[in-house]
Amino acid sequence: MFDTALSANDLIFLAKGAGITIVVTAISVAIGTVLGILFGVIRVQLGAVLSAPLTFVLDIFRSVPLLIQLVLANAFVGMVLQLQVSGFFVACLVLSLYTSAYCAEIVRGGIDAVPATTRRAARSLGMSWGQDMRYIVLPLATRVALPSWIGLALGVMKDSALVYVVQVTELLKSTQILITRLQEPMFLLLICGAFYFIISFPLARFGGYLEKRWSND
Amino acid sequence: MNKFTLPAALLAVTAVAGTAAQADKLDDVISSGKLRCAVVLDFPPMGMRDENNEPIGFDVDYCNDLAAALGVEAEIVETPFPERIPALMSGRVDVGVASTSDTLERAKTVGFTVPYFAFEMAVTANDETGIDSFEAMKGHTVGAVAGTYEAIALEEFVNEWGEGSTFRPYQTQADVFLALSQGQLDATVSTSTVAQANVKSGNFEGISVVGTAPFDIDYVGLFAKRDEYGFLNYLDLFVNQQVRTGRYEELYEKWIGGDVPSLSVPGVYR
Amino acid sequence: MFDYTFQWKQALARLPKMLDGAVVTMEVAVLSMLLGIALAILLTLFRQSGSRPLKAIATTWVEIARNTPALFQIYMAHFGIASFGIHFSPFTSLLIGITFNNAGYLAENFRGALKAIPDTQTRAGRSLGMTPVQSFRYIVMPQMLRISFLPMTNQMVWAILMTSLGVTVGMNMDLYGVTQDLNALTFRTFELFAIAGVIFYVITKIITLGARLIAMRLFRY
Repeated sequence: MFDTALSANDLIFLAKGAGITIVVTAISVAIGTVLGILFGVIRVQLGAVLSAPLTFVLDIFRSVPLLIQLVLANAFVGMVLQLQVSGFFVACLVLSLYTSAYCAEIVRGGIDAVPATTRRAARSLGMSWGQDMRYIVLPLATRVALPSWIGLALGVMKDSALVYVVQVTELLKSTQILITRLQEPMFLLLICGAFYFIISFPLARFGGYLEKRWSND
Repeated sequence: MNKFTLPAALLAVTAVAGTAAQADKLDDVISSGKLRCAVVLDFPPMGMRDENNEPIGFDVDYCNDLAAALGVEAEIVETPFPERIPALMSGRVDVGVASTSDTLERAKTVGFTVPYFAFEMAVTANDETGIDSFEAMKGHTVGAVAGTYEAIALEEFVNEWGEGSTFRPYQTQADVFLALSQGQLDATVSTSTVAQANVKSGNFEGISVVGTAPFDIDYVGLFAKRDEYGFLNYLDLFVNQQVRTGRYEELYEKWIGGDVPSLSVPGVYR
Repeated sequence: MFDYTFQWKQALARLPKMLDGAVVTMEVAVLSMLLGIALAILLTLFRQSGSRPLKAIATTWVEIARNTPALFQIYMAHFGIASFGIHFSPFTSLLIGITFNNAGYLAENFRGALKAIPDTQTRAGRSLGMTPVQSFRYIVMPQMLRISFLPMTNQMVWAILMTSLGVTVGMNMDLYGVTQDLNALTFRTFELFAIAGVIFYVITKIITLGARLIAMRLFRY
C-alpha cells in the first residue's frame, strides 16, 4: 500500500489543492454568513408575506443541486452576460449565495428561539429595537445558531468539492489529476478523504460540544 | 475650467477610438499578448501531465505552436470534456485545442476549423472476458468517456444490440480504464492513441487492445466562437501550414509514432 | 452585452427524456431513504447498546458519513469497493453511496431525538412487562421518528440533490446524467441545465409539501 510513486512534488500539488479548498470555503462562508444574517433578520422583521420573494429566491439555492447551480452560473455569467471572470470567482459567488440561503434559515431559527416574552420585556424596559437585538437576541440566538452554523461551514467545505466543474482545481480535483497520472486510486482517495476528515471531525465535535454545553443550562 | 478640458477631451477621444475600432478576436489575442487554449489533460497522449504535473502532449504543443505563430504567449486552460464549450462561450479561453469531433450538431453552437487530427477507434478489453473484436462486445457491459464521439457512437450500437448489452459513460478517461481493469467494464472503445498509451503505461493490468471499432474516422478540429470568421480563417491556415511545414508529422512522431493519418477526406472540399 | 442566442426549442424537445431521468432520480432517492432510515435505526441501536465493537462500528460509520464529501463516498462505493473484487452497477453504487450518507446523518438526528425522550418512559414500559426490544419498538421509536420528521424531510431533499453526483460513477439514466448526455450532443449547456434545475426544484417542492401533508395527518397533537 505504501509502495507508491507519489513524489514530494505531488504532495505539494495536493497541498495546493487543499489550500484552494480552504480559501474557497473561507471566502464563501464569510460572505455567505454576512448575507445570511442580513437575509435572516429581514425575513423575521418583514414577516412571511412581505419577505416571500426573498424566501423564494433563497429556497432555489436549497432545492437545486449545487452542481447545476455552478454549471448554470458559469454559463450565465460568461455566455449570456459576457463577463470576463475566473472560475474561482464563479465558485465563490455561487457558494456564498448557497451558504447565505442556509445561513438565513439558521439565523431565523435562532431569532425565533428567543421567547417573545423576553423580547417584550426588554422593549418595555425602554430598550430600542437595536438594543434589544444587540443585548437580548444576539446572545440568546447565537447559542441556538452557532452549532448549526459550524455544521453549515463544514458542509460548505465538503460541497466545495464540486467546484471542479468551473475549472477550479481544489483538493478532490487535484487528487483526480494525480490518479490519472499515477493510477493509484485507493491510496490517493484515502489521503484526500483523510484530509477532509481531519479538518471536519474536530470542528464537528466542537460544535456538538457547544450544543451540549449550551443546552444544559 | 480649462484645466479639466484637456483630459476630458482626451478621454472622449479614446472612448470613441475604443468603440470605433471594433477589434475582432484575432486582434484581441494579438494585442493581449496571450492565447488561452482549452485543452483536455486527461487524454494521453493528446493532453496529459508530466511528473511535475505540468501540461504536456500533442494538443499542448499544438497550442504552443499556434501561440508562437501569433507571436504571443500560450496559456493552457485545463477543461474536462463536458466543459469545453462553456469555457469557450464564457470567454475563459480563446480557442479549443481539445481533440473535439466536428459534428454538425455541435457546429450549430461553435465554429470548427478544418481537421487538425484524425482518430481511429480501438477496442480495448479486459483479458478475462475473452472479447476479441468489436462484434464480440455484444452482450457485455461496455463504456466510454461521457460526451465523446466514441461514447455517442458506442451507445447507439449498444441500443441496437439490445438485451444484455449495457453502456456506461464515465467522466474521465482514467475512470474508464480503471473500471476496465477492475472488471467493472468488459470492454471500451477509445481513440487508438489513448488505448495504446494506456495499455503501454503498465498502470492497468489485464487489459489489451483487441481490434478497431467500425466507426467513421473521427476528425477533430480546433474550435472558436462561431462568428469570429477572422480568427477561424487564421486557424484554418495555421492547420494547413502545420501539415505543409512537416510540423504535424514531427509532432505525430513525437507523441504517437507510426503512420501519420491523412487529414483530408477524399473526394470533397471543405 | 447579450450576444448569446437562446435555443429553448431545441432543448425543450428533449424534455420527455429528462422527465424519464427525473423518475430514476426519484427512485434512487426514495430507495436510499427507506434503506437509510432502516440502517440509521440499526446504527442507533448499536450506539445505545453496551457492546464496544458495535458502538465503534456505528460511530465510525456516522463520523465518516458526516465528515467527508458525498462525492467522495459515492466514488468510493464504486471504485473503492471494486478493488476488493466486488462490482456494483452505477445505479447500485449511487444507491449505496447515498444510503451510506443518509444513514450517517439520520443516525445523528435520531440520537438527538432520543435525548428528548425521558428514560422513565422506557422504564415504565419495562415495568409493564415489555422486553427492552418491545419498549424500544413501541414506545421510543415512534416518538423518535416523529421528533426527527423534519430532519428526515431535509435528508430526503438532500438525497434528491445527491443523485446529481451519480455521473462520477457512470450513471446516465438519472436526471443529471441524462442532461449531461444531451449537453454533450448539442452543447446547449445553459438551456438544458436550466430545465434540469427547474425539474429538480419542482421535485423537491413536491417532497417538502408532501411531507408537510403527511406530518399533518400523522402528528395531530
